[in-house]
Amino acid sequence: MSVTGGVGQRIPRIDAEAMVTGKVCYAVDLQVPGMLVGKIVRSRVPHGRIVRVDTSRAEQMPGVRAVITGLDMPDRKIGLALRDATIVARHKVRYVGEPVAAVAAVDERTAEEAAEAIDVVIEELPAVFDPVEGAQPKAPVIHEELGSYGHSTFMARHYNPIPGTNIAHHYWYRRGDVEAAYREAALVHEETFRIQPVHHGYMEPHVAVANVEPYGRVYLWSNTQRPFEVRKLVAEMFGWPEGRVRLTITKIGGGFGGKITPWLEPIAVALSARAGAPVKITLTRAEDFVTCRRQGGRVRVKSGVAQDGTLLAREVEIHWDSGAFSDLGVSVSTLAAISSPGPYRIPNVKVNSYLVYTNKVVAVPYRGLGVPEVMWAAESHMDSLAHRLGLDPIDIRMKNLAEEGDVAPWGEVFHSIGVKECLRRVKEVRERRRQEGDGRGWGVAVMHKFSTPGTMSEAVIRMNSDGTLLLLSGAPPIGQGCETSLAQIAAEGVGVPVSQITVVAGDTDATPFDAGTFSSRVCFHSGNAVLQAAREVRRRALELAGELLEARPEDLEIANGEIYVQGAPDRKTTMAEVARVSHMSQGAPIIGVGAFRGGGSFKFDPDTGLSGRAAAHWEYGAVLVKVDVDRETGKIDLRQVIGAHDVGKAINPLTVEGQIEGAALMGIGAALYEEMVFDGGSLVNPNFMDYLIPSALEAPDTEPILVETPHGEGPFGAKGIGEGPIIAIAPAIGNAVYDATGVRIRELPLTPERVLNALEAQA
Amino acid sequence: MNPEVTLRVNGRRYELQVRPDRLLLDVLRDELRLTGARRGCETGYCGACTVLLDGQAVHACCLLAVRAGGREIQTIEGLASNGKLHPLQRAFIEEGAVQCGYCTPGMILSAKALLDENPAPGPEEIRQGISGNLCRCTGYVKIIRAIQTVAQAKGGGRP
Repeated sequence: MSVTGGVGQRIPRIDAEAMVTGKVCYAVDLQVPGMLVGKIVRSRVPHGRIVRVDTSRAEQMPGVRAVITGLDMPDRKIGLALRDATIVARHKVRYVGEPVAAVAAVDERTAEEAAEAIDVVIEELPAVFDPVEGAQPKAPVIHEELGSYGHSTFMARHYNPIPGTNIAHHYWYRRGDVEAAYREAALVHEETFRIQPVHHGYMEPHVAVANVEPYGRVYLWSNTQRPFEVRKLVAEMFGWPEGRVRLTITKIGGGFGGKITPWLEPIAVALSARAGAPVKITLTRAEDFVTCRRQGGRVRVKSGVAQDGTLLAREVEIHWDSGAFSDLGVSVSTLAAISSPGPYRIPNVKVNSYLVYTNKVVAVPYRGLGVPEVMWAAESHMDSLAHRLGLDPIDIRMKNLAEEGDVAPWGEVFHSIGVKECLRRVKEVRERRRQEGDGRGWGVAVMHKFSTPGTMSEAVIRMNSDGTLLLLSGAPPIGQGCETSLAQIAAEGVGVPVSQITVVAGDTDATPFDAGTFSSRVCFHSGNAVLQAAREVRRRALELAGELLEARPEDLEIANGEIYVQGAPDRKTTMAEVARVSHMSQGAPIIGVGAFRGGGSFKFDPDTGLSGRAAAHWEYGAVLVKVDVDRETGKIDLRQVIGAHDVGKAINPLTVEGQIEGAALMGIGAALYEEMVFDGGSLVNPNFMDYLIPSALEAPDTEPILVETPHGEGPFGAKGIGEGPIIAIAPAIGNAVYDATGVRIRELPLTPERVLNALEAQA
Repeated sequence: MNPEVTLRVNGRRYELQVRPDRLLLDVLRDELRLTGARRGCETGYCGACTVLLDGQAVHACCLLAVRAGGREIQTIEGLASNGKLHPLQRAFIEEGAVQCGYCTPGMILSAKALLDENPAPGPEEIRQGISGNLCRCTGYVKIIRAIQTVAQAKGGGRP
């Protein structure tokens, strides 16, 4: 029996009306009575020792209520994995833009003036900006105490820093014998690729509001993607029990991985505690640009291939540009390294992944968690192999792509792998278009994307006294529409229309724990928890209805809010009646609780580095693009993008399409236009005039194709879709440029200048 | 003493004393609590702050409030009338053109300004019309489609 707005239905977002009327409270809109304005003073030096931070002038200015430096913050480093980060620098600065002090004042102008009155003296140290140079033994060391840092527990003991160097983490794995395989290969080919730093470009800036009650609670509001993680880190930092801190999320104006680490919350807390008043910090766009970015770096890939295109061996070496701290880099550099050979059958593999500190803006999770970087290399390289062997780029992939039950290069067994079907679907499009005369400029790439292993979601569904349902989930909606898809799962699980469900998300006092919104995990993990809670609500409702109708629960059916005896639809009651009886007569309100821990772990074979299961689930997809290249100007005209993606099961095809279309354009931005340009550690383009986020004029015709290969552990077979569709975009475009011109460009972005240079080198 | 300004916003008159360097965006948000127009940058490039000034889409983050005195300002809060959504608002909902929603008010107002001037824009004209409004979530596909459906309903929207 299907329910109105249930699973698989293409329904509009349940929160869309509030969005189109502007009646939504984002973090920028927050107002708390008596609120002060917080401002951050930032380092202008990429690497140096703090000699003096003189706050005396600022402290005496009228209207200034609090001034803090790094020494006023608790002496505890934080981090999502390795605890290596100071929130306000204490003795050293490690990048331009790093906070060194902060003020709170009665208004914005006073706060700005006070921030400018703080005198910061820093003695410069030699700096490192390139991850490959930074990994050399003689490079200036950015973290002298690397060997003594603590770490979070979620990655078990998977930490491998190399003290005395800038290598925050080295992960490696080996399978078979690549050298022996190279000797057997018809072709051995090696290429080196570079990926530039890019910024998330979410539309809403980072915001945090803190109100510290001296003997009471600590209230925090922010637009974070991981409220429970932020609460934990803040409580840990200040030495409080977690329960003292209440973090409530607002509506979030985009995140894409950039709004996870609590860069602002502890500063707002420290200012509020000192001022005895609520403090709000809103970043300017220029500040956002120095708050987070994607890793990027260098990827070297080498393959041995048989004459027929069969992959025999692959080596990958990655140097990640981590910036000043490692943030979630230990996880990203491990899991992206695991993914780096691609979703292929390759018997001999050798991977080395180095997470390297540099004196630049901190790299954090970014849609795709490192996989866009490694797939840019692997999937460009795959085309190079095809061309050298005289094979069709689609055929060489089809020959090597893994299927259900195959063993992955890193050791786990592939499941719910619809990548070949995705490739078949885009191949159909290419063949048809070629027959129509569209001959050149086609590029294809495939992708896979892990969802971080071993993370937890919980959900609670409470029945209100009128029979409607309150769904409590700790996973913040960040624009992808999870409040709608989770409500659809709940509706389907209970058997009521989706209109009966109200979603409450991301309030650490109200909602149960959730690891948060990242790594394409919410639909799968939170969805499973919601489904479990919904089934519990359904079971309890049927039990109670059975008493009312004098029938056995197993003989009852729920359809759109009514409960009736199967075969005797006149014998019926309503959810409202069930709710009334449960609340009023029995005093046993109906509450369903669900919990789900995703599979996989950070446990690796100590001898080989191989994994039994590295991910909770994997997204798969194939992207086809069509380009024209202007040989005079070097400009790439991206005509069309076709993205076929295996989503397991589309809970809501409308929002799934939205993810594919949006991720495609974000990928296009990083492939063609976007680059954070640094000059001696200073970002020279921290604004939307010089940092080119695609507008509607750059958006090509985009066609999403949904493939459904059910996942055995997903809710209704569903997997994530938030990140996968960005990953194959850049290599597909690079491959299309090759198809159009015969030049291979190995460095992003593919600017007209790079294309022209490559064309000139070719001539 | 700050100058007195009369702002006409969504058909209402507001008599305000406004510091001469105050931006229209800040006055709308902080004084009138109309928060549908939002700051996304400070430089007039993202369009999240778009409002209509005498029917033209403008960036409220780049306009002094005193300069808007006496002119007709429309914000997203004034678009639905008598509780009935504007066709563009309905189309954005139905076509799935909203993701995080931060750019949505500005995007809808730019689309309205476009359709008021050109009721039958083609896809390229639509792209041009909203090119001052950045959206990082949607890839613009469903936004363009939503605007097309409204244009077509008006008898326009030639392919």
